[in-house]
Amino acid sequence: MPPRYLAAGLALAALAAPASARPVSYAGGWTLMQENNGMYSSLHAHYSPTATDSIGLYVEQNRDMDQTFTGLQYNRLVRRWNAPESQGNVYLKLGVGAVDPFAGGETEFGGFAGVAADWETRRVFVSYDLRARDFGPDESLSHAARLGIAPYVAEFGAFHTWAMVQVENHPGAEEPVTVTPLLRFFKGPLLVEAGYTLEEDEFLLNWTWRF
Amino acid sequence: MKLLKTLALAAAVSLSPAAAFAAPETPAAAEAAAGEILMAKVNGLVCDFCAQSIRKIVGGNEAVQKVHVDLSKGQVRVDLKPGKSLDDAALEKLIRKAGYSLVSVDRNVAK
Repeated sequence: MPPRYLAAGLALAALAAPASARPVSYAGGWTLMQENNGMYSSLHAHYSPTATDSIGLYVEQNRDMDQTFTGLQYNRLVRRWNAPESQGNVYLKLGVGAVDPFAGGETEFGGFAGVAADWETRRVFVSYDLRARDFGPDESLSHAARLGIAPYVAEFGAFHTWAMVQVENHPGAEEPVTVTPLLRFFKGPLLVEAGYTLEEDEFLLNWTWRF
Repeated sequence: MKLLKTLALAAAVSLSPAAAFAAPETPAAAEAAAGEILMAKVNGLVCDFCAQSIRKIVGGNEAVQKVHVDLSKGQVRVDLKPGKSLDDAALEKLIRKAGYSLVSVDRNVAK
């Protein structure tokens, strides 16, 4: 494999597989999800026609790869378990679109597929995200997992706080495993996350707004 | 003169605001004027961000006056508009559309 493709693949493999807010809202709901970290910034704007499906635009500007992905992302709530004091979910995420280098050049066809799962109570949150990407010659697989604890239990409509740690694995990357401690806050329809990836010396800032 | 004063006093009393007031409502009448209250036990109510959907979906129904979600008890209180009704099947459909599971409905809720 030519060196530049290997380097590109390794860089792509270093892309985070975010394990953040749920990708499907209530029927008729709109969601904006924006993520920023040391390697990329992304925006996912989606509409949920049902409580189990959402579809929308996904744009990712990758500074490591010097390229932008613009496409459609479809999310499916495959299974949900509603218990008296907990909820578990499994999601499927599919994306397809165009990959454009920053410096111009040929636009390539690309896509990704992912599976995400989460389980939470009012005190504990765990999630896992697996994503496979195929952007022309750049192919990668990455995993991310989160564990969160609520230092206090807030009532409906109040200000909520979670302390979380995110661990990501990018096989083949220079730093295969990265750790990001972060804080998650939300009130009403707005969720904000702020963290710091230790191995990369980079900040993380994400937000989600449902309306 | 005395008759004139009497007539003037009678006119003043009949035209006074106090005379225009209707007889006070009985407690039963006041209660009947308020809508029915439903208390729904719902599974999966652990996330405030997600429970916003309950208020949007259930609160958007034409029969519903207001919705209150109690995450601690896993309950949703639904106040209906006076004269409106919402049967268990319709409520279950709304809760499911919001992404949750209805366990039971109590309609004998004290106002």
